[in-house]
Amino acid sequence: MKVVLKDLVKDFKSADTVAVNRINLEIDQGELAVLLGPSGCGKTTTLRMIAGLEQPDSGRIYIAERDITDLAPKDRRVAMVFQNFSMYPTMNVYDNIAFPLHAIKMDRKEIDRTVREVARLVNIDQLLERGLRQVSGGEAQRVALARAMVRRPEVFLMDEPLSNLDAKLRVQLRTEIKRLHQDTGATFIFVTHDQEEAMTLGDKIIVMNRGDIQQVGTPHEVFFTPRNAFVANFVGTPSMNMLPGSLRIEESGRIFVGLPDFELELPRRFAAGLRGMSSHHVIWGIRPEAIRLVSAPGGNCVPGLVELVEALGSRDLMFVRVHGQLFGVIVDALDSVPAGEACLLHFDGAHMHLFDAGSELSLLLDEKTKGA
Amino acid sequence: MVVPVRERALSYAILTAMAVLVLIPVLAGSLTAFKPQIIWISSPPVWFFEPTLENFEFVLITRQNWQHLRNSLIISIGSVVIALVLGVPAAYGFARFRFRGSRGLMQWLISLRMIPPIVVGLPFYAMFLFLERATGLGLRDTHFGLILTYQTFLLPLVIWMMRGYFVELPAAMEESAMVEGYTRIGALWRVVLPVVWPGIVATALLNFIFAWNEFFLALILAGNNTSTLPMAAGTYVVRARVEWGNLFAVNLIIMMPVIVLTIFLRQQLVKGLTFGILE
Repeated sequence: MKVVLKDLVKDFKSADTVAVNRINLEIDQGELAVLLGPSGCGKTTTLRMIAGLEQPDSGRIYIAERDITDLAPKDRRVAMVFQNFSMYPTMNVYDNIAFPLHAIKMDRKEIDRTVREVARLVNIDQLLERGLRQVSGGEAQRVALARAMVRRPEVFLMDEPLSNLDAKLRVQLRTEIKRLHQDTGATFIFVTHDQEEAMTLGDKIIVMNRGDIQQVGTPHEVFFTPRNAFVANFVGTPSMNMLPGSLRIEESGRIFVGLPDFELELPRRFAAGLRGMSSHHVIWGIRPEAIRLVSAPGGNCVPGLVELVEALGSRDLMFVRVHGQLFGVIVDALDSVPAGEACLLHFDGAHMHLFDAGSELSLLLDEKTKGA
Repeated sequence: MVVPVRERALSYAILTAMAVLVLIPVLAGSLTAFKPQIIWISSPPVWFFEPTLENFEFVLITRQNWQHLRNSLIISIGSVVIALVLGVPAAYGFARFRFRGSRGLMQWLISLRMIPPIVVGLPFYAMFLFLERATGLGLRDTHFGLILTYQTFLLPLVIWMMRGYFVELPAAMEESAMVEGYTRIGALWRVVLPVVWPGIVATALLNFIFAWNEFFLALILAGNNTSTLPMAAGTYVVRARVEWGNLFAVNLIIMMPVIVLTIFLRQQLVKGLTFGILE
């Protein structure tokens, strides 16, 4: 079912909740949308408003064209999985899964059939008789998933359901949620602060900060064409290298960005968007993946000194000091330069980002989306 | 945790000594309840004798203390039930919703608990009198009057204890139930109350003990129709003498329900009083 948020506001006067500033959002039928942002950005408040656990101060919420803003949570035909709660402690796994079915007065036989079927789907059909103390954290969260699925809701809301699990389980359950999404064809709205989780799960990522939507796009879009400096900085680990700088555009059309103590050139194709912006103050950025080790000097090549190397497995994250600034650089582990040694870095102009120093909006968005 | 044998032996020795110290007067008194009148206060005390129930027969039937027992039961159980029915939802509200003045209200409630009964006894009497004259509603010497009065002390205890239990539980527990098709009341009833049940039992028991033992307010506000067991006990301490055997017979009747309930509900009580600590 399509979920639409229209001019949704939760103001900061409401003591216990994070504010949300007049957000508009459309999530299509069958989509897996991820609300991504740091803690306190309003993503959970937004989800709770969709669930009906939080009442918006103004704005409307529609599910499948139906205005549900004033409906009680129980009448919204949504299901929700929480971060810090998985299983009703006084009931065993079976009764937990059956619990939402008792609310709609389903008959015993039908309940039994449904519970067993759903339990099989999330691989807990062996645990039906167990209580909360006899299941692991991951199993308990599967129970929560089963309970969410059992009424076949049209919209699944997930509030950081994996955050309290250890890394391995998290990855495993993430895959299962993705599979569940494909099997049910329902609309999923998933809240997380973990951008890797967002990238792997989402069809659509909604990046939020301070109660505002910063960008809506596919995982690729928010990664490669961030709309503003916040998105650029928040999405991607290790995060983007960013420095203040100023533009210099030559008569010939060549574009340079002046950084403290050195200058880098951007491809001419960006010129259209930067017309008349010579000496404009910008925030310049480049991802650690777009900086390369080279052996011979050339354009956009700068010497640096390796200060620290972190192994990431097949690749290394080097921290390289260039003219007093520290850059994160990701290289193939086999090419890595040990700490304390000098190296030559090439900054790929095509992968550079420029943001207005004042508004922090991307200056290259149009050109980049055209190119992509 | 493994405690060394010597330390454990020592702690048991101390605990036993304390228990003996506390239990001797109770035991001596309880024995007296079964002594025939002739040896109530014999000196030196008689430890071995043929036990008799004549003291119990005297207090319960001759002096009709069974009526006091009935009054005590009605008033104590009634007080606890009303305190729970009003206090548990209030505690839930305080735990889950912050509203203007909620903190102040909680502090005011605990301050009620700190007032000595003697401070409210006479004002309550005056209020009852005024009500009676103004509206004809008689509360003096009624079970309900005492039950109402006791709420002054029981409600704060219920609200403070139960709020503690509710705060321990994640709000997501009932929110989950609310999304799954229940109202907030339904979620509270089916999901939250079963979890805090040991806490309710512990709260109920502590409140029962207060109401059951209460003497001063009953003395002021109860009358012939409603006087309670502690008041009955008082009648055996008269100016000229103390009727020890009868007094201890009533005392034993007063103690029994509390002891039996505590033993019977021991598991729930321990769970309730250590709620959240062990999990």
